[in-house]
Amino acid sequence: MTALMERLERHRWVWSALGVLLLWAVLSITTGRFSLHSLSGVAISASFLTLVALGQMLVVTTGRGNIDLSIASVLTLSAFASIVVAAGSDARLPLALAAVLGIGLVTGLANALLVVVLRIPAIIATLATGYILATATLIANRWAAGFSMSPFLKTLAAGRVEGVPLMLVIAVIAVALAGLLLGRTVYGRRLSAVGQNERAAALAGIRTGRVIASAFLASALLAALTGMLLGAYVGGAFLEMGQPYLLQSLGAVVLGGSLIFGGSSTALGTLCGSFLLILIVTTMQIAGLPAGTQDIVQGLVVIAVLALAGGRAVRRRRAAPKPEAVAP
Amino acid sequence: MMTAVFPAAQDAPAASAGVSAPLRRSPPAAGTDPGAPHPPVVRLSGICKAFGPTRANDGIDLVVAPGEVLGLVGGNGAGKSTLMRVLCGVTRADEGSLQIRGVDIAPDLYDTTLAQAGGIRIVHQELSLCDNLSVAENFFLEAPEAARALPGWRRIFRARARAALDEVFPDHGISVDARVAHLQIGQRQMVEIARAVATPQVRLVILDEPTSSLGLERSRQLRAFIKARTREGLAFIFISHKLQEVVDIAHRVLVLRNGRSVWSGPAVEASVEALVQAMGGPTEGVMASRRAARPAIGEGARERVRLSGALIAPLGRDVVLRAGEVVGLAGLEGSGQRDLLHGLYGRPGPGISRAGKASFVSGDRQKEGVFPLWSVLSNIALGRLESRAPLGRVDDGQERDAARAAAEKLKLDPARFDSPILDLSGGNQQKALVARALVGEADTILFDDPTRGVDVAAKEDFYALIGSVARAGRLVIWHSTEDIEFLECDRVLVFSGGRIVRELVGDEITEAAIVDASFAGTGATERDATAGARGPLDRLVDLAPFASLAAVFALMAWVNPLTVSMFGLELLLGPAIALVLVALAQMFVVGGSEIDLGVGAFAGLINVLSATLLFDTPWLGGVALLASVLAYGLIGATIQLRRIPAIVVTLGASFIWLGLGYTLQPTPGGASPEWLSAAFAWTLADVPATLILIAVAAVIALAIDRSPLGVVLRGFGNNAQAMTLGGWSPLRYAIMRYMLASLFALAAGLSLTAINTASDINAGGPFTLISVAAVVMGGCALIGGMISPLGVVAGALTLALVGALLGALGVSTDYNAAVQGCLLLSMLALRALADRREARR
Repeated sequence: MTALMERLERHRWVWSALGVLLLWAVLSITTGRFSLHSLSGVAISASFLTLVALGQMLVVTTGRGNIDLSIASVLTLSAFASIVVAAGSDARLPLALAAVLGIGLVTGLANALLVVVLRIPAIIATLATGYILATATLIANRWAAGFSMSPFLKTLAAGRVEGVPLMLVIAVIAVALAGLLLGRTVYGRRLSAVGQNERAAALAGIRTGRVIASAFLASALLAALTGMLLGAYVGGAFLEMGQPYLLQSLGAVVLGGSLIFGGSSTALGTLCGSFLLILIVTTMQIAGLPAGTQDIVQGLVVIAVLALAGGRAVRRRRAAPKPEAVAP
Repeated sequence: MMTAVFPAAQDAPAASAGVSAPLRRSPPAAGTDPGAPHPPVVRLSGICKAFGPTRANDGIDLVVAPGEVLGLVGGNGAGKSTLMRVLCGVTRADEGSLQIRGVDIAPDLYDTTLAQAGGIRIVHQELSLCDNLSVAENFFLEAPEAARALPGWRRIFRARARAALDEVFPDHGISVDARVAHLQIGQRQMVEIARAVATPQVRLVILDEPTSSLGLERSRQLRAFIKARTREGLAFIFISHKLQEVVDIAHRVLVLRNGRSVWSGPAVEASVEALVQAMGGPTEGVMASRRAARPAIGEGARERVRLSGALIAPLGRDVVLRAGEVVGLAGLEGSGQRDLLHGLYGRPGPGISRAGKASFVSGDRQKEGVFPLWSVLSNIALGRLESRAPLGRVDDGQERDAARAAAEKLKLDPARFDSPILDLSGGNQQKALVARALVGEADTILFDDPTRGVDVAAKEDFYALIGSVARAGRLVIWHSTEDIEFLECDRVLVFSGGRIVRELVGDEITEAAIVDASFAGTGATERDATAGARGPLDRLVDLAPFASLAAVFALMAWVNPLTVSMFGLELLLGPAIALVLVALAQMFVVGGSEIDLGVGAFAGLINVLSATLLFDTPWLGGVALLASVLAYGLIGATIQLRRIPAIVVTLGASFIWLGLGYTLQPTPGGASPEWLSAAFAWTLADVPATLILIAVAAVIALAIDRSPLGVVLRGFGNNAQAMTLGGWSPLRYAIMRYMLASLFALAAGLSLTAINTASDINAGGPFTLISVAAVVMGGCALIGGMISPLGVVAGALTLALVGALLGALGVSTDYNAAVQGCLLLSMLALRALADRREARR
């Protein structure tokens, strides 16, 4: 029994995976029309969320309550930029890609500079850069005349291979890479060490500033790329299109079982968390709940999961003394 | 006899209600002398306490009689701290019984509140003052019963602080209004000691290493004071590494070793040598002989470290440290040993040069050593990753082999590699950290007090290892707080006042020689007269928010002269009242070193509530407003109870507020209740209501901040741990903090309704960032504990004016968000740079 509990403790993604299966089963049974086909719609939405959430997860892993609040604006601005620059032709796609990557790079570096060099709390720094980008979005909104997409991007975002959405394939590959990065590489170890105890990490020879900066950079880049793909998928860019991803990216990370205090994250969990969150939203839409209620439920879910998981993290750190562990 | 048994009933009326319930009269025990006039102040019997595998206390008895000084000695990790934590109600004993002034106390009911009611006070090694508060305010936190929420309530504590400091440390030179942060470390220790002994009804004061930061004269004053107060019946427990001090001051001595009491008797029967023997610490002879047994360092061993410049000025020559040596860094605590260690590890500063790689092993395992989520193996293996490429693969098998080799040298059982690191005893955790340094193959290993809190056996293993590690070709640099450990070293550098004043080699190294040299240059540390003086520069920084408000206002007046009229003021500043109120709400949350990301949305929700429910069905609206304040309290409780980050919870809550607002009112509309509009539409001597209300809000916030409640809230923002140990409930004050914030946000929402005469759930959203900006501009520290209501009001008004100024200059409102974001960031960046300059000073 304790072995099982320990395994669950180590593989925290299981809970969100169970949640996905349960909710899906309930939906399939109660609403006859919820089938594998409608699941693929959920899969596409969840894939977009997963990409953003992976970046958020890296930032959360760096600990001290670090969170990236600028991703919503990065995502929206990138969507606008890719549409304005690409102007509906594949030939200009590399330029658009450069613009989008540029947005991610500049924002990520700015966040990293503010957090690492100036020691400004991450929430404030990213909140402020987000506001500055929001103004850029307002200006871009005036330029964005048409809604023509680059065909290649459109295929990438909305296409299917053997019925499987391409976006899902992209998301799964990204999750696998992030999982390898966290679990099997030197970088993953360093990231976890910094998240658990930054001072000890610095004294163990880790360049903590670089590690933290890389997480913010990755988060901004992922949000920027997702913005480009999302713009292609929905066929345009609009103000506030990134807004839902602010809370949902955090919700997916937390639901997936990553510790909000940092130091321990799971990419697979973030995938499951994204699916679970999107399923919850879909369920509410099917049930015909108004948008306001959907917001309330999402807020409650995040707080509730945190309230449950927060205690677990505390217990873990205290490492309750076990009688059988007494040394001979 | 009755009065002696239940003294608490008369002496501590405020606390008596809480005390009497768990206390019960003990039957006349066989052990107590029925003829004795006073029962012991405390009697602990058979105290046992285990942390995981470590038996920190194992059947310890302790008795302190009134007017007695009990000396408590023992090496690091002997269990002194745990015993004192049990005595103070911080830690609950696994077994054993407890008697206070002859009254049995049920162990599972005993807590810090009961210990304080019983007249027990402790002066910690880790200082427990809130350094953002004044000396007098810290006295208030210790004994708040006399406080009244009236202006001038500080007077009584100011007088008490002054009297106590004068009594213990004559000519202390400490201003009771000085902020503790502005005091030197020795002065803080003096304040802490004075605070403990000045508490009304105090019967037992525990002094844990009280003289570690005090100069010779202050130590003498303290001993004189202890002697004087014991004559009046006050009891002391005196814990010190300085055994001679213990022998001099104590009536009786209790020696602990590995969690057991090994010797107890009158101090006249104790000598320093006998105490050392009983503590089981290493004796000079054993350690020195181990050094002598090491092979000599080879000729021409490679130079690893060279020290030059101001650091070694008293020696007059460069110090060169070579591979193979064990070098000790000695001196009074805080004399520069740690600075050198960190200088050697990080970027070498002027006068310090190092060749080859270095690794660092700290004795402060929780803060500077362990990674609590990892296994023992991962904790060790981290040492191998230092020079590897980020995308390199980590291999469990290779790690295990490397770690095994290091662990065997340290007698750390490889079978425990897969246990979580925190399941190990302190000694074994420390071994894992040393193993981490060994697998790293560094040329120099820096040890910062590595045997702190480590049991005797683990210490022996460590000592045995040091020599072989060094002679295998590494340079070992070792800072310790136990002078005897330096006898292991080949060479000792003695620090005083930040410089190396003496170099001892080989047989010159004795405890006496180290102590002599440590005190050689201590004239400087005795200087403590410049307490808490605030320079004109500090005052200038305080004025910055008001100066920037004036500057922006002047600019505005220049662009549009109408600004200066009463009409212009109302037009410009009137709408700012909502921002001012939201900023004040945010300020109280920031004071607790948290940030509320939902405060703007909450004000928006109140806006909607008051323009719909409150307008249509006033009683229902009133209930809803009340419920929303309670909901905010619930948020505070959730954050505190579950220890989760406030930002995420308040971010989640912001969606709840928005959702509720949308549900109530999907599109903007509604109407303001008449009385509410009227409340914001009067004038007094031609001054419009909104301007007066802004001033009123500022005064209320200031009054709250200056009240006892405000002081407690700031205390929690600065040092929550010390507040909790002092018996203040973190939960109660977290709830109060958030409810206080919600009241200001509620007022903000109402003002939005009154001024706009309609509601829009999105009206509040932008306030969240601006409120943080206003709080920062107002001079509050985001790390908590430092708030300034008037500054925040000035900051909020400045930001409101900036918006208007942009409008007057013809800049599109699209740029508002960017300008606000840039302003906030530049304020924070400037603050960061200023702090860094101050830190360098």
